[in-house]
Amino acid sequence: MLSEKTYKIDEIIDKYVGKEGALIQLLLEIQRSLNWIPREAVQKISEKLKIPVSEIHRVASFYTAMSLVPRGKHLVRVCTGTACYVRGASRILDAAEQTLGIKAGETSEDLKFTLEKVNCLGCCALGPVAEINGKYHGLLTRKKLEDILNRKRDESP
Amino acid sequence: MVANETGAKNGKDVTLIIDGIKTQAKEGTFILEVARQIGIQIPTLCYNKALSPFGACRICCVDITDARGRNRIVTSCNYPAEEGLIVETKSEKVLKIRRKLLEFLLARTPKVARIRNLARIYGVENTGLWVENEDEDCILCGLCVRVCNELIGVSAINFAKRGVKREITTPYNEFSDDCMGCGACAMICPTGSKRVRTHTYSTLKPLTGPKDEDLGVCLDVFSAKSSIEGQDGGVATALLISGLQNGLFDTAIVVQRTEGYQAEAVAAENVDEIMKAKGTKYLRVKMVPKIKELINAGKTKIAVVGPPCQARAARKIEQALKEDFPNLEITIIGLFCFESFDYNKLKAETDRLIGVDLDKAGKTQIRKGKFSLKIDGNEYSCRVKDLKNAIEKGCPYCSDFPALYADVSVGAVGSAEGFSTVIVRTERGKKLLENVSLTKGDFNKDEVVKLCTLKRDRAKTNFAPLVEGIHMARLQEKAV
Repeated sequence: MLSEKTYKIDEIIDKYVGKEGALIQLLLEIQRSLNWIPREAVQKISEKLKIPVSEIHRVASFYTAMSLVPRGKHLVRVCTGTACYVRGASRILDAAEQTLGIKAGETSEDLKFTLEKVNCLGCCALGPVAEINGKYHGLLTRKKLEDILNRKRDESP
Repeated sequence: MVANETGAKNGKDVTLIIDGIKTQAKEGTFILEVARQIGIQIPTLCYNKALSPFGACRICCVDITDARGRNRIVTSCNYPAEEGLIVETKSEKVLKIRRKLLEFLLARTPKVARIRNLARIYGVENTGLWVENEDEDCILCGLCVRVCNELIGVSAINFAKRGVKREITTPYNEFSDDCMGCGACAMICPTGSKRVRTHTYSTLKPLTGPKDEDLGVCLDVFSAKSSIEGQDGGVATALLISGLQNGLFDTAIVVQRTEGYQAEAVAAENVDEIMKAKGTKYLRVKMVPKIKELINAGKTKIAVVGPPCQARAARKIEQALKEDFPNLEITIIGLFCFESFDYNKLKAETDRLIGVDLDKAGKTQIRKGKFSLKIDGNEYSCRVKDLKNAIEKGCPYCSDFPALYADVSVGAVGSAEGFSTVIVRTERGKKLLENVSLTKGDFNKDEVVKLCTLKRDRAKTNFAPLVEGIHMARLQEKAV
């Protein structure tokens, strides 16, 4: 498993060696491929592309699209923007936290779920909204969200 | 990015008016610089002439009207002079903005004296804004980031995260692998922030004991050799073996060659492994990752052998972790060092200057200004001076020749061939020497002092533009 990961990282980085200004694209590709950016990858990028580790860390920690800690298989993003908030987003977030047993910003130990709080998903009329693995779920109730999350958890891995 | 001192292009002269004074400047020179030249002081917190401008603090804002009559507020530290520009640095509009900015800064760092003073100059005594963290002392001006990246070339610290969570930190907020403890970040910081002191190696508690002006804290100093055939007198190797056998530490981090002349830090736990690492490699090998790894693995008695920068790092880690790991003891054997080299560049230079392959070298040595290497019994050499293109980034800014923070420092300088100079600095160092049998030789202190002075003076010269920039900024504030 580990060696397969290492191989994957090497393969991705090698495509970018010698290309200027490609750091963000490279990091995004690693993020897509592994669902996070491991230290090992940061170290290797630094060596192969001759970019200081601190610079890679700066970029990777800046973008919410990149994660420096492992992320779960299912990404649950609960909107707490103004419109969703007045429609009870805090209760929805509560329900998600209780169902998954993690706080916003955390990843469950079995690496199944990552829960995030986001500011606006851009469809306020559907509030309260949550985005789960890129799919939007609108007009949520506690019950509705709990059902979806339980279904995801029971899915075969 | 290379620091662009003033922004000036090799272009034409332009005429502009600053606070009613007509002046000429090279096109592209930053307004702040032009103003300085005619004695108009604009306050700034994030500008240093030796580094590229950043426009972070916004305090240097001025009111400009360009040749086409367009009026706006810009930061003068990074706005280039252009023909027909009319600049107001003290208009009521500018002062109002500056006061507001200072209110923001006061809310960010309410306790920092420099910010308070500057605010007071502008009549801002208190901030009406929400104070998130009373003890915050970083204004995110980025001077430390720029100095470490542009001037020192090490890039140990940088920004991380974004928005309200943005901060200055080392990667992963851990002890830096790259910092060499030159102190530039702490020196340039306008607020004396702890953020550049936490995981870097420039601010250490000094060792205590009798102090020599040049050699540092020194309980004993002499010249000696062991029975081991090492670099010079084989003292470092003998100390490691003795320490290991007498239980002063159970693991020693040493530098071993890997491929060719390349080298890496390894954890040695027995005599064989230590013997494999003997002989100096004139490269900067990062020891911190190994130190962190061993501490995480639960080791508490560790020895580290390395040049002054690595000795500083090891000492800082020991000091900083004292509370969390009270049993942690890092025995530090420091090596005299004037500079180290970058492997790839050194390989290219030895090929160019001597025509030999560095990777084939057996023992390498720097003695009396000569870098020599042995290949199959033949000795080749060149002047160390000629290797200046291969010097590792940051070394010219280091002022520590005799490894001031080590328990014992060892080096060739000050001893005859085949002997090493040994400086014992701490009780731990003294204990380490107790069980080692050494043959003493003649010690020549003047040779060591000469190199200590040379290295200090070099760092001082290299730091001069930076220091001047810091000085200028302070003067400007006073003159406002």
